[in-house]
Amino acid sequence: MMGKHAQNKALAYSTPLVLIAILALFAGLVTLTGDKALARMAAETLIRVVLVVGLWIFVGNSGIVSFGHAGYMAIGAYCSAWLTLKPQMKSLFLPDLPPWLAQAEWPVLPAAIASGLLAALIALISGAAILRLSGIAASIATFAFLAIVNTVYSNWEGVTGATSSVVGLARYVDQWVALGWAAAAILAANLYANSASGLALRATREDEVAASASGINMYRHRLLSLVISGFFTGVSGALLGHSIGVLNPDSFYLGITFISLAMLVVGGIGSLSGAVVGVLGLSLLIETLVRLEHGVSIGATSVTLPSGAQEILIGIVMILVLILRPSGLMAGKDLQLPRLGKTLQQKQTTTN
Amino acid sequence: MSKLGVFDVSVRYGKVPALTDVTLHLEEGERVFISGPNGAGKSSLLGAISGAVATSHGRIEMDGDLLTGRSPEAIARLGLSMVPEGREIFGSLSVDENLRVGTGLRRDRNAVEGDIAEIYDAFPILGERRNASAGALSGGQQQMLAIGRALMTNPKLMMVDEPSLGLAPKIVDQVYDTLVQLQEDRGLTLLIVEQSSTRAARVGGRMILLRSGSVVGDGNAADFAETDLLSEAYFGKSNQEVAQ
Amino acid sequence: MSSAVQLFFDAASLGGIYAMAALGIALIFGVMNLVNFAHGEYIAFCVFALIVPSTEAVAVMFLGKAPAILLIPILLAIGGAAAVASEYVVFRHMRKATPVAMMISSFALGFIIQNALLAVYGGRPKAISLWPDLNTPIALAGAQLPLLQLIVILTTLVVVCALALLLKKTRLGLEMRAAAENFTMARLLGVRANVVITGAFALSGALAAAVALIMATQTGVADVRMGGQIMLVAFIATVIGGLGSLPGAVAAGFLIGAASILLQGFLPLEVRPFRDAFLYTLVIICLLARPQGLFVPSSAKPRI
Repeated sequence: MMGKHAQNKALAYSTPLVLIAILALFAGLVTLTGDKALARMAAETLIRVVLVVGLWIFVGNSGIVSFGHAGYMAIGAYCSAWLTLKPQMKSLFLPDLPPWLAQAEWPVLPAAIASGLLAALIALISGAAILRLSGIAASIATFAFLAIVNTVYSNWEGVTGATSSVVGLARYVDQWVALGWAAAAILAANLYANSASGLALRATREDEVAASASGINMYRHRLLSLVISGFFTGVSGALLGHSIGVLNPDSFYLGITFISLAMLVVGGIGSLSGAVVGVLGLSLLIETLVRLEHGVSIGATSVTLPSGAQEILIGIVMILVLILRPSGLMAGKDLQLPRLGKTLQQKQTTTN
Repeated sequence: MSKLGVFDVSVRYGKVPALTDVTLHLEEGERVFISGPNGAGKSSLLGAISGAVATSHGRIEMDGDLLTGRSPEAIARLGLSMVPEGREIFGSLSVDENLRVGTGLRRDRNAVEGDIAEIYDAFPILGERRNASAGALSGGQQQMLAIGRALMTNPKLMMVDEPSLGLAPKIVDQVYDTLVQLQEDRGLTLLIVEQSSTRAARVGGRMILLRSGSVVGDGNAADFAETDLLSEAYFGKSNQEVAQ
Repeated sequence: MSSAVQLFFDAASLGGIYAMAALGIALIFGVMNLVNFAHGEYIAFCVFALIVPSTEAVAVMFLGKAPAILLIPILLAIGGAAAVASEYVVFRHMRKATPVAMMISSFALGFIIQNALLAVYGGRPKAISLWPDLNTPIALAGAQLPLLQLIVILTTLVVVCALALLLKKTRLGLEMRAAAENFTMARLLGVRANVVITGAFALSGALAAAVALIMATQTGVADVRMGGQIMLVAFIATVIGGLGSLPGAVAAGFLIGAASILLQGFLPLEVRPFRDAFLYTLVIICLLARPQGLFVPSSAKPRI
């Protein structure tokens, strides 16, 4: 018979399987309806899963709120564009690219991985500085980082096209590609969270002083989690670019920062399941609101929400969750195999 | 009607109980010491009375007014004042400003200046340094300031948490002399947390013993020094029997 | 020589705006440890309160038509009321929440205000003309200065002094300083939490309105995005100045204004569009060198 500890550990590893199964079910159901708009919504939702799970790897484990992840996203998105766009297009719209990059015509998957790696590298460099700070100072520094990335990408005319959009990206990302990456992100997040580094990092989240007294090198673990987090965030940027086909620096600024943090907070920063549940819940809400903005007729009356109502309502939901359920919908708990369907887990918290 | 009535009060931090069904009464003008080992619930009791700590059960009354569920500032306005453990003076404010923080709740605003003069009379060193930043005072001076600050709210009941903590014995003598003097002058009711039973016996008054969140003794402080009740409170009865 | 004078006035007037915005943020942080990301949106809200609600490109003055003697107090009151209302609706229910949860909810609140403005006024920046005469240049020490720059600098000085007096000399100021240092102890002495917090929000909102008036006059534009930009700079000033330190916030606001003008003036032409990237890099370097803030003695214990 397995010891209780070993059993808990096995349960902890069942979390990603449950989450991936839910997402696969979601993608499958949407495909079955044959609705193109729904399929696009599913792809976008799954890309957000990659983004928010990537964000969670850092924020959930370290407890530091990052406002800078949209920056890693932008870095990934543009990197994939540089690598995959047709050389003729690049010489036309992005004339200042170095020759090897201007000639590059990579397949999409290596390009996505390279985008993640570049974002991870920038995460390593920026994190090496920012993570020497703690608490709110670190959060503000991540904000400064976001502003730096935005300034550079909005003004680097010949390399990023500045504020005029980069167009013509291959739109290869459908719900299945996104599902693949979402599964990879979830597996990586779970592996990291249950690794020695992840456990040590969460110990520092509970009590910084005690953890450092026990000899945990907080800085190194934070940096490692940021690098992994940066990789998946960068990939999510690349996926987003190849899903909508157009890049603009401002699509990687405050709006996406807000939405991704909202999803993380609503689901619950304390657990990986919280990140995924938050994305699914808010994406559903966004989709409903977008449809209402276009106008929906219920019987004889048609309901149309004014534009902007979507963002306002999401903000309200976020504040309500923070007030009524400060640790999010999942409250730090994880979905696990034997307990799913009963109560969503009572005691065996894997991440808390 | 007693001055302060604590009825079946429990306090818990998460799942950890700090106080369990504590009942005690203070009469007008009484001086009562709360003693007991670390973790007995002394500070939780003071916290519960002052409103800084939420109770999970029971009720607390002062002069017949229900204190339970009120905010700390509302309780302060009913006439309860606190000299907290570690003094907690406002280090960035001047001595004079520290004394004035608690005067906002008073109706008799014109008596404030007179009271401040009185405090400076009682503690001349505070008067000398009235414009200095309070953080620059010595430990003993800070204790005087904390007492003076609590008095400036014109309380009916004053609670003092471990006034002797971190002070030289000679200074502790001074602090207690002042407290006794003040009580006689103003007819205050005093509730003092004091670890040392010999100190409590020397000052004189009633003593209530707490252990593991419950009242285990109540009587004249002088008697405690001679009985085994105290060691019982600290070590538990069974231990004592084993030792014998 | 004259260009040096010009630079000085540019730096001082820009720094003055930053300093006032940073003060508004530092006040709230000092009292309740809230990093209020909605502060920038209070500023934007006040700017838009000047004009008639419509999505047209040209703004029609609404409150902005009132004579200054009425307009200034009314707008300060509107700013104060907006901030107090947001406390009442959102932050009052989060008194026991962690600073991180409060910070995120203020971010959400800012987003709500911004999108509400967007829905009512549309996304295009609007030209507004508030007190255009103030932009007429006057000659001083050989430099051509818009009158407004002088007014901004004077206003900043007046606001900072008035705030210092209020904190030093009034009952509310005393209670706010005590509460900023040790809120629980202040409450045990009868200081009413709600009064102090409402007071801090009212002051902070009035400061936002002052910034709004100056920015509206100086730039002549009402833009829904203006709140985000000024908020970021003001935040950074608050952190560099030492979170919660009011003199630190003012000093850091001026410092960032000066750094920004100097970078603008002396960066090579080809990298000048990247000015803000240099500015924020400097900020991160500052934070790394002195995480507790530039203007706080290094012995001071960190607040968070």
